[in-house]
Amino acid sequence: MIEQEETEQRLARLSGATDALRPSAGFSARVMLAIEREAAPSFLETTWFSARRLLPVAAIAAAMAVVWAVQVDGYVDDELASSYASMELE
Amino acid sequence: MDILEKAVDRVLSGDRSAFQQIVDATSQKLVRLGARIMGNQADAEDVVQEAYVKAYRALTAGEFDRRSSTSTWLYRIVVNGAIDAKRSRKRRAEASDEQVDPGWDGAAFAEARLALTEIDDWLQALPPDQRAALVLQSMEGLNNSEIAQVMGVSEGAVEQRLVRARATLRQKREQS
Repeated sequence: MIEQEETEQRLARLSGATDALRPSAGFSARVMLAIEREAAPSFLETTWFSARRLLPVAAIAAAMAVVWAVQVDGYVDDELASSYASMELE
Repeated sequence: MDILEKAVDRVLSGDRSAFQQIVDATSQKLVRLGARIMGNQADAEDVVQEAYVKAYRALTAGEFDRRSSTSTWLYRIVVNGAIDAKRSRKRRAEASDEQVDPGWDGAAFAEARLALTEIDDWLQALPPDQRAALVLQSMEGLNNSEIAQVMGVSEGAVEQRLVRARATLRQKREQS
């Protein structure tokens, strides 16, 4: 009877009965697939990497846009000033 | 240096395909260990797969310091994963060995499955860490020093877990 079996004997019997256990079919392939997924960069990682590479270009473009905007603003002011001046002369 | 340590060297030097050798050399022992702690093969395979992913991550990040052997290190990851899984009791409803395709002798698989069910029922009364210590000693054949290394605790703590586990099982037997 299992109930009367000593603890050590029962452990030994169960150990023997499970000695032949081995992974199910395709286990190794599933593991390697999970590893490949782990090794491949995720969408977020790819996006972050690309974004980091574009950051200096974006910064230069932003600086150039500011310079251009200031220059254009200066031309507009000059044009407005000269048109008011010509209206006053008229 | 054995095959396992050589495979680790190759992974560390950038040959990621060498990880397959590590899986081939250790998966039988690790799945059997996981199944004995978890009480069924499907959950054990989940735990072991997760353990391999963690091991791969640690290897490629240079986090494996090689203070213990690769085998002991993998044992530790699987035991910790199994204890965590047992504690969280997140056993999937569909995770049953009925769905496992053994790919090996059906009769031996059936016997092993019955034995796993018996282990699970019998050791259910034990906390996961005591259960793991008992499995490592009585089924995996590790001595207290090796169990301490695998579980990351002192030998005294291992001894205490084993004494408590056996006392609980004896008490359970006397009550039945």
